[in-house]
Amino acid sequence: MAMAAGRASRVRPRWRGREARLLVVVVVVLAVGWLGLASTVAGELTIGQPAPLVVLAVMLGVVHVALVVDGRRRDQVLLPVVGLLMGLSLLLMSRLPQDLVVQSLAGVELSLAGIQLLWIGLSLAVAATVAVGLRNDLWLRSYKYTWAVAGIALLLLVFVLGQETNGARLTLRIGPFAGQPSELLKIILVVFLAAYLADNRALLAGRDSRLGPLRLPPLPYLLPMLVIWGLALATVVVQRDLGAALLFYGVFLLLLYVATQRRDLLAFGVVLFVVGGLVLYTLFPHVQDRVAIWLDPFATAQGAGFQIVRGLFALGRGGVLGTGLGGGLPTVGSGPSIPAVHTDFVFDALGEELGLAGGLAILALYALFAERGLRIAAGARDEFRTLLAAGLTLVIVVQAAIIVAGNAKLIPLTGITLPWIAYGGSSMLAGGIILGLLLAVAVEDRPGAAIERVGWRERLGDASRAAAGRVERVVR
Amino acid sequence: MIGRRRRSNTKEVVQPRSPGGPPPMAPALLRVGIGLFVVYAAIGVGLGWWGVVEAGRLTTDPGNPLVLAAREAPRGEILDARGVVLAESVREGRGGWRRNYPHPEAEPLIGYLSPRFGASGLERSYGAELLGIGDGVGTESLLRKLQRDPYDEQDLLLSLDLRLQRRAMRMLRGERGAIVAIEPATGRILALASTPTYDPNRIVDPATGAAYFEELLDRPPKDSALLDRATRGVYTPGSVLKMVTAVAGLGSDAITPATVYPAQPAEEVTGMPVDGFRVRDGHHPQTGDRALALDPATAVSCNIYFAHTGLNVGGDAFLAWGARLGFGAPIPFDVPTAASSLDGGDGFVDDVELANAAYGQGEAQATPLQMALVAAAIAERGTLMTPHVVDGLRAADGSIDEVEPSAWRQVLDRGRADSIADAMRGAVESRLGRPYAGAAKIPGVVTAGKSGTAELGGEGEPDSWFIGFAPAGDPKIAVAVIVEGGGTGSQAAVPIGGDIMGAWLRLQP
Repeated sequence: MAMAAGRASRVRPRWRGREARLLVVVVVVLAVGWLGLASTVAGELTIGQPAPLVVLAVMLGVVHVALVVDGRRRDQVLLPVVGLLMGLSLLLMSRLPQDLVVQSLAGVELSLAGIQLLWIGLSLAVAATVAVGLRNDLWLRSYKYTWAVAGIALLLLVFVLGQETNGARLTLRIGPFAGQPSELLKIILVVFLAAYLADNRALLAGRDSRLGPLRLPPLPYLLPMLVIWGLALATVVVQRDLGAALLFYGVFLLLLYVATQRRDLLAFGVVLFVVGGLVLYTLFPHVQDRVAIWLDPFATAQGAGFQIVRGLFALGRGGVLGTGLGGGLPTVGSGPSIPAVHTDFVFDALGEELGLAGGLAILALYALFAERGLRIAAGARDEFRTLLAAGLTLVIVVQAAIIVAGNAKLIPLTGITLPWIAYGGSSMLAGGIILGLLLAVAVEDRPGAAIERVGWRERLGDASRAAAGRVERVVR
Repeated sequence: MIGRRRRSNTKEVVQPRSPGGPPPMAPALLRVGIGLFVVYAAIGVGLGWWGVVEAGRLTTDPGNPLVLAAREAPRGEILDARGVVLAESVREGRGGWRRNYPHPEAEPLIGYLSPRFGASGLERSYGAELLGIGDGVGTESLLRKLQRDPYDEQDLLLSLDLRLQRRAMRMLRGERGAIVAIEPATGRILALASTPTYDPNRIVDPATGAAYFEELLDRPPKDSALLDRATRGVYTPGSVLKMVTAVAGLGSDAITPATVYPAQPAEEVTGMPVDGFRVRDGHHPQTGDRALALDPATAVSCNIYFAHTGLNVGGDAFLAWGARLGFGAPIPFDVPTAASSLDGGDGFVDDVELANAAYGQGEAQATPLQMALVAAAIAERGTLMTPHVVDGLRAADGSIDEVEPSAWRQVLDRGRADSIADAMRGAVESRLGRPYAGAAKIPGVVTAGKSGTAELGGEGEPDSWFIGFAPAGDPKIAVAVIVEGGGTGSQAAVPIGGDIMGAWLRLQP
């Protein structure tokens, strides 16, 4: 829908020199990695079969060209950072036993690396489409309650139809399509929060009511906060998905703080978190199990703690510089050395082969992503966009922190993915949407451009209000 | 609300900020960013903990798949103190390797290594060293990483002497029991026997392994051959534990060597009242109505004397003195050990339990290794050396990484330790002690020891115990012997202990 308007306001292509140079560095780094991996496996100097790497390089190039042709000025670091993470994912997936996942797609048998490459491609396509095509965010921001309803509906759908994976009810299967809705849910949540907070931030920041020693905003404005808290608890109870709940709640609290700058609200939120955590710990044995495993995985090294202990062995084996790509120990006997190494434990596998140095480099990439994302947020042209960019950045960075800390036994392990690295279609697609949205928000306005857009903005506003206003009224 | 929403929809081009409006968000974004960096730095430190500080421990953990995966790779040899090969890797078929054990008598300690049934003993606990897996830390490990072959097999040099080990196993033939022989001055293990035993070669041999291993697993726990009784068998210690009580009594100044309990001779007949119960004894009529001091009480193994001493020391102090000798937690050693305990691990519920434990009954439980350490600490004038059986690791280039003897704890001062040593000498050498521990006497050598008879309740014969050391003036060897169901100490364990100590003194140059 935005394409027609987009064409009207198109500007001339603009070179993106920094992005191009960084992408070249990324591809060279990955090529060296590929050379090392293939040579270690073969026992002689060889590049092996670099087709997947070439495909990835071409796809990154295509996205780059799309942004060049689009011509609007925007961030040039995000794409190379994400591209490097995706490339590491491809290296690791090519290196792990290929039969961890086998799927037949239209008669073609695809295994781990092939499927992951397919998802990386789709993810980059989505990112480019959103980054270039999303010229108007009105439909995102105006119908926040519609999004909230859609999110809750998604949660309910999972509750009713969801399938269990590793004790967590995460996967939704409709016909031939299967996905993990919580990946989509986290984006919907950020969109809703950004819109809600942008509208109500003045009131939330005020101090209007008292609850004992606490000064709180008026109850009607506090209510959504409690609803989100409840939603996070429900995610744990219904989906048994501790990681997603922690992520939702953490991002929510940080966004609330950004919007209001009220530390007392942050503290109140942390208190609610502790209370919720204690309640869940008391009521649900699977939460207790997780905590017990976390406190001493070596006590059950052959049972419940097996996975995390194997992960720590990998980190220890990696040492400072790692064993080198291909030099680690992915399989013992017939099974993988670490169960779920391609989803929950990618970081430990990379830590074994790339060592502490490689692990810190990966953390640095996420930190760099955070820096760019928050910079985009600070420079965005309105409050909704600021909060949207901040929220999307936080989703990625907090998620990476939760799973890496879990892999390193710093917090209880939760089964969420390492963004852009772990195997998984839903996660990779969500990553693409987030990258696309950030690149869309990152567009820097030229003088006059905004005025030019008001026309179609108004028109679209009228149309969408008519369509979805009914939903809004019902909800509120 | 509707008006509010409307306004937000139309205000996007310019963003007016009224003076009373919400604060700008940039400072909060900066703070959140800084917070994220702090969190990431903390995670980085956590990764460093595993990748650097704990790397060595993790990589050499026997459960590490790296160690498990290499079960068929060649490993270093295990050699006794004189260089006799106890375990070696031999080629088998198509480039594979198999472990061979030329002297299965060394079994309980060496263990086995089978691609199918895993590993035990030193083969398990020193798996990483035998394979030569580096810990990835340090220059040497980093350089090795650049080579094709990541392994650097090391040989294990033991303090075990096969001659003494063989003799110990022979003494126990047909019995269930264990012998631990240790050099008091260094903590080096000289022999460590446990019966019944098994033949590791039959476990490793693919042709016989499955049936043999199944047969071993099917045995009732009492007859298990896979359990190393010397380090992991926990037994009621009986009277040998009285030496722990003596350590606690003298160490805490609750008694002196001259202390006597005037009521004791009468209590031999009537029983000693404790909390309404009566501790009974009465098995040494030859002392008549004489109140006994430490020496004669040790010689005739007087239960009443040591029950009084235990009560004088008090429960908490008794446990603390036991802990100094190693009770209460697994003893750090080259293979896994079981914890010994004076109180069953749950404290003394009353004085009856304390009094019973003080003469080795009640809930007191000890491993033969633990009791050997008690003898060794007394022999070494109060110093308890860290027990070890691996003397050194020999790399492929012949360089040896030696394990230096180290003092684990200074348990007692020299004077007090010597008082107990004198009492133990009397138990073997004196007229009073001879009927009990005299059979341990080595001809021509002043010998010290203490016999024990652990009553297990029920119909069965008691377990027979002995701890001792020789020569009493300059101890070269300390031993602990247990023969399950062997009867009184003097019947089974005492002569074995004397034989082993005598054999060792004759083997010495």
